[in-house]
Amino acid sequence: MNKIPVSYVLRSYPYFLLDILGLILAGILVQMSIDWHLALRQGIWALAGVGMFFILVNVPYKTILKQSLPFYGFLLVLLILVKVAGHQSHGARRWIGYGPVMIQPSEFMKLALVLALVWVFGKMDGKEGLSFGKVLLATSMAALPGILIAKQPDLGTAIGLFFCLGVFLFLRGIRSRTFFTALWVSVILLPIGWQVVWNHLQGFQKDRIRTFLNPESDPSGLGYHTLQSMVAVGSGGWFGQGLKGATQVRFRFLPGAHTDFAFAVFSEEWGLVGAAALLLANAYILWFGYKTAVLCRESRGFLLAAGLTSLFGISFLVNASMVVGILPVVGIPMPLLSYGGSALLVSMMGLALILNVRTHEET
Amino acid sequence: MRGPKGEDVLEYTRVRGIPGLRSASGLNQRFIPGSSSFFRMGSTPRRRLIALLLLLSAGFLVLLVRLFDVQIEQHAKYTKLAQGNILRIIPLPPLRGAILDRNGLVLVGNGTNFVVSMIPDEVIDKRKTFSILGQDLALPPSALEEAFDRMRDVLPSYIPIPLMAHMSTAEVGRVSMDIYRLPGIVIQTIPQRTYIQGPMAAHLLGYVGSLTVGDMKKSYARHLPPGTGIGKTGVEKTFDDILQGEPGESRKLVDSQGSVIRKLSPRYPTQGHSIRLTLDFRLQKVAEDALGDRRGAVVALDPNNGEILALASHPSFDPNLISSALTAKTWHDLLNNPDHPLTDRAIQGLYPPGSVFKVVTTMAGLKAGVIDPAKPFKCNGIVFLGGWAFHDWKKGGHGTLHLRRAIMQSCDIYFYRAGMALGPDKIAEMARYFGLGMKSGIDLPSEMSGTVPDRDWKMKRMHQPWYPGETLPFAIGQGYLTVTPLQMARLMGVVATRGFLSTPHLFLSTDHTVRFQKERIPQKIPVEPASFSPLREGLWAVVNEPHGTGHPVRMKEMEIAGKTGTAQVISNRIPAGGTAHVKIRPDSWFVGFAPFRNPKIVVSVLVENGGDGGDVAGPVARAVFREFYQDYLSHPESQPDLAANKKEQRF
Repeated sequence: MNKIPVSYVLRSYPYFLLDILGLILAGILVQMSIDWHLALRQGIWALAGVGMFFILVNVPYKTILKQSLPFYGFLLVLLILVKVAGHQSHGARRWIGYGPVMIQPSEFMKLALVLALVWVFGKMDGKEGLSFGKVLLATSMAALPGILIAKQPDLGTAIGLFFCLGVFLFLRGIRSRTFFTALWVSVILLPIGWQVVWNHLQGFQKDRIRTFLNPESDPSGLGYHTLQSMVAVGSGGWFGQGLKGATQVRFRFLPGAHTDFAFAVFSEEWGLVGAAALLLANAYILWFGYKTAVLCRESRGFLLAAGLTSLFGISFLVNASMVVGILPVVGIPMPLLSYGGSALLVSMMGLALILNVRTHEET
Repeated sequence: MRGPKGEDVLEYTRVRGIPGLRSASGLNQRFIPGSSSFFRMGSTPRRRLIALLLLLSAGFLVLLVRLFDVQIEQHAKYTKLAQGNILRIIPLPPLRGAILDRNGLVLVGNGTNFVVSMIPDEVIDKRKTFSILGQDLALPPSALEEAFDRMRDVLPSYIPIPLMAHMSTAEVGRVSMDIYRLPGIVIQTIPQRTYIQGPMAAHLLGYVGSLTVGDMKKSYARHLPPGTGIGKTGVEKTFDDILQGEPGESRKLVDSQGSVIRKLSPRYPTQGHSIRLTLDFRLQKVAEDALGDRRGAVVALDPNNGEILALASHPSFDPNLISSALTAKTWHDLLNNPDHPLTDRAIQGLYPPGSVFKVVTTMAGLKAGVIDPAKPFKCNGIVFLGGWAFHDWKKGGHGTLHLRRAIMQSCDIYFYRAGMALGPDKIAEMARYFGLGMKSGIDLPSEMSGTVPDRDWKMKRMHQPWYPGETLPFAIGQGYLTVTPLQMARLMGVVATRGFLSTPHLFLSTDHTVRFQKERIPQKIPVEPASFSPLREGLWAVVNEPHGTGHPVRMKEMEIAGKTGTAQVISNRIPAGGTAHVKIRPDSWFVGFAPFRNPKIVVSVLVENGGDGGDVAGPVARAVFREFYQDYLSHPESQPDLAANKKEQRF
């Protein structure tokens, strides 16, 4: 478990690194087509991300994992702080910080939760399957920040946390019977549960789901997001409208173009060819991450790589599906592409940890 | 299969089938014996990781398919939507072409109409806007909302929707004062069709109505802005495509807030083309004035080419009322008026022609050899057929007479005898040669064709054979026979030209050569030109002999020939204010042509329930003949007028 020189990493995994670099640059390009200020800020965050990346690659992941619980606890405190004294914007209280440096603890919470869940499930105690205690512990560890974040309100990130929990429970071997029983129960309970959830949703969240079911019913009203997003994607064609021709973006018909709908912007500007290339780049990261997990002979490394990769992949899929109208609009940004310093930093840290597992396990 | 602790035992072996996993588990087995717990929990996480990978891969595949569908398959649709986002096209209404009479007098032009409209995109508080507007216009807000809702779904939300047209100056003033409180409300000036002569010639000119939602679905009207007038009847309808003009559009690029980024050069609307009618308004006016307040119709046309010189129908209506602020009440009153002012009696009114029809019977008789102009005939005032007595209109009869005097004094018995000898089919055949029982082909909508009965018609229509007794009224223009005043003018035109049936028309020329009218050469009918002479002699005598039935029509300056008719009304038409028991007076006809030796005009006059043809319809016809004479024939230098127009007609 020695330190690994950067040069070794560069030589051994050039494709993985180039892939990430390409996605970051694509993201900056998208921001540039909207506003060069955004691109500049995203660029600065990206530089910080690259620095963080190489620091995290260098420190053996087992050492990092020892800090899992303090990190998780620290972020939980931050989330409470946000609740009390956070910075408010667009009707949501999500940010904390001073001056130009605002961070979004909820984004970091995703990473912290993965690390914490690795701590919960990674320790082998000789027992098969999952003990009830562990499941309860893991669930409460996800639920505590989940509720805090959902109240910000940021339903997308909260859902992301529960996706993490689900992935871990699934991988860690919750019994098929239990899993499927839970699945069936939730299917049956869905209408009832839906009512409960529905009553607790914010107005705009309800509207989003409502209009997802029929986006064209009210084109200038509630279905606006989905419809305009699909118009942007659809007008891309094979090769895209280019940076100048993408009118959906240039004339601001696409709300949230730089954040949640960055993929729509990219698709309008670069067409199906660009979008497919983006898909491929993300698929490669997925492949790389899962291969790392499978190759890892140690349970915590396995869980860490698998968990982070799943988080990355699910975020990508949910965001892209929302952009092309397969899923309702939930605020899950696209990793590396969407604007947002915290999200970019968290993505970079996660990818660094995946590479970390790969390098430290193989040497 | 389950192990003792419930784990999935089978999984150990199943996982071996997957390359990559085998080596992984193998490695674990070999190199880390101490962490057997991980191995034992074992291949489950790896197997499930593969499942997860497959699941996510499936997600990627779905995504790719969806992207292909949206970006390639539906590309055109979304591109159009994207353009619709940024491009605002606001149609500019075209100016309708004018309608002139043959001398260039403007009959229909354009004025200004103030319309208050609402742009749905720019309205902030609809309810408040409607209530303020309602106060300004003294209208209930619900009426405005109704007008708004009617158009709401058929128009893009950035196009102004007219709420109320024909605002008075005071209303424009009041709304202008409030306009700062009414975002999204605009006052537009839209060209207003103006019928300068009011009710004169109203039927033939027709009127325009606002484009309805139904009209907007028609292809040629799709691009017309709301509030545009569209021809509903008359010339306005027939020549709508010439008169309409092309709407223009102002185009601008906007962002998502609707604020203008750049104005593109507008396409200005083009004015519709003006139309010159064959109508001579001087004659039209004289005809309408001569009719006075009696119900009836006057047709004057040039038998040589079918040009309509006057086409009057009374009672009339003011088209300005319909094409401008038409209220439901006005419309209801017009529709339910017992005198039917909206009906164009000249082309839609169906009447028995009475004795004027003897022209047809004469020609049929001459052709079949049943009538010999030189042979004397004794009229004793009565004829018997199958036990029924048919009387002459003059008690005691006319005594001994020839064809000339039979026509002159309109002897019924003479034509009863001729009719009995001919039978209905021969009379009907001749009637059709003269254009009865069919549409004349005039360039106006909704013309009626009337009825010419014969044996086949009766069988088809009434499922009864023709009775000999029915031939007698038929021969003198009664019975089942119905005609329009226009058809009678056309009929007399054939006599005037010795056998040429013209197609009446109103279109003379337009300032544009877009529309080529069919050549309207009068058609020769299969009757010898020479055989018209005895008939024409009789028609001359009707007017010019002291005892002729049409003597009141006589003019010293110009020889007129024609035929009177006093048609018994058998229909259930009841005059206004009358009851069924009142004895209905007969319809009064005069149809004639002049000058006798070189006919240039045919006049057909009908006065509903007027009484005697010569005394009632005659003077009306005379007034038209007199005006024609004064305008065209009294001053030799004014004669080229007609010739010049004829040249122009080639357009």
